[in-house]
Amino acid sequence: MTNDTKDLVEQVRGGTSQRVRAAARLMSLIENFPERIPEFLVGAADWPEARMVIGLTGPPGCGKSVLADRLITALRTRSPDSCIGVIAVDPSSPFTGGAFLGDRLRMMRHAGDPNVFIRSAATRGHIGGLVLGVKAFIRVLGLAGCRTVLIETVGVGQNETEIVNVADFVVVAIAPGNGDAIQLLKCGLMEVGDIFVVNKADCDGAAQLYAQLLAVLRLNANGQKTGMPETCLVSALQRRGIEKLVDLFEKRAAGSEQVWQARRRQTMVDEVKAAVLEEARQRLSRVLGTGPIATQDLSRILRGEVTVTGFVDELIQKMTGSREDKKNYGQAG
Amino acid sequence: MGKSKPSDVAIEGIPPVSEQEETKRIPERVLIGKVGLDGHDRGAKYVAHILRDAGYEVIYTGIRRTPKQIVETAIQEDVAVIGLSLLSGAHKRLLKQVMDLLKDRGAIDIVVVAGGSIPSSDIPVLKAMGIAEVFTPGVSSQSILEALASLLKARRQAA
Repeated sequence: MTNDTKDLVEQVRGGTSQRVRAAARLMSLIENFPERIPEFLVGAADWPEARMVIGLTGPPGCGKSVLADRLITALRTRSPDSCIGVIAVDPSSPFTGGAFLGDRLRMMRHAGDPNVFIRSAATRGHIGGLVLGVKAFIRVLGLAGCRTVLIETVGVGQNETEIVNVADFVVVAIAPGNGDAIQLLKCGLMEVGDIFVVNKADCDGAAQLYAQLLAVLRLNANGQKTGMPETCLVSALQRRGIEKLVDLFEKRAAGSEQVWQARRRQTMVDEVKAAVLEEARQRLSRVLGTGPIATQDLSRILRGEVTVTGFVDELIQKMTGSREDKKNYGQAG
Repeated sequence: MGKSKPSDVAIEGIPPVSEQEETKRIPERVLIGKVGLDGHDRGAKYVAHILRDAGYEVIYTGIRRTPKQIVETAIQEDVAVIGLSLLSGAHKRLLKQVMDLLKDRGAIDIVVVAGGSIPSSDIPVLKAMGIAEVFTPGVSSQSILEALASLLKARRQAA
């Protein structure tokens, strides 16, 4: 680790008045410099770790953030001394790079609670429903004293399932009004849940959706030996069913700490792989450049003068050739 | 890590502007919200929207927040800017509380800007408190973006 990072780590560990600020800055380093993520994973070997990392996913508008807010309250009430960390992910614009991070808005009642650390993050082009470096985020929250970490993914479509490799278990939230029972048969989202929650029990169609969910899950369970995922009908808005859901969490956590920690270490390489691929992508796009020169260059593929694989070979060659002189990156081509 | 990596010379997560342009643009993080009791959030949402479209990452905290909630959120989110909308007339009192809390938490490097129905005679008072810029009704989105860009440039250079 470089000195700037070490100082921040010591400030977080030492529990100084700057603890929260230092933790927040470490997270900024992680998201601004993904090539440094492995530093955090290696350097974190002796950091305290969260007991339970919960993944919360589901389609946009199904009530994930309100559910997260209620879960924070319930978890804080059960263990008043225990810190909770939340990572709330929303999408970056693929057009402007900007983002509107609105998950935290639902959790503002906890803003004055020193035992709740909430961090919003934008995907910044990362595909999968999370952010690059989320595992390093989790380690920083652990260092800051969080025993439970709750990760809220972006509102997912059908294929953003990265959460499976990050959380100890995954809660899939669905709500009435998002299509008929056929949606429940589709791949992706419906395959990742350890616990399924039908939210908005106060709305029309919730009981029907819950019945359909049970039917589909029973069908799935017949083909496998893993048994049925747990299910829960809740109304986050009216605070109904939340305690039962937290009971399900605790049941899973009991005696699982070591198994979970071992699994987190096994999946660490996924994070490193993502960081490697991101660095490769960034370097290649620097060689390719932008604007008319890149367009002209790429047009050679359209004219049949070079194949895609041949073009990439050329890029790699240019990249290794110009390693000595970084300033040539933008002019390549 | 190699010596030539921009990350090695980074100060608190932000590399020098020259290198940032050469490598990649890191989005700046901005908190937009309302303190006090008025619930008119159209202006705050509008500003959040234009900042989002200008490439900022906007953490929107909504209406009726306390100065403490705003400051704690800004610290956890590691934002560069806090933008607060006030239409209640309590801007002097509430913004003073925000600035005092930032000072207590050692976070005065966070740029604070305000907007809303603020009489021009109060603007010097707010600026003396440390509010970097005050946007009043009728200001164009372009001038908000320009003012923010130059405040952030100065902040990066000071870091």
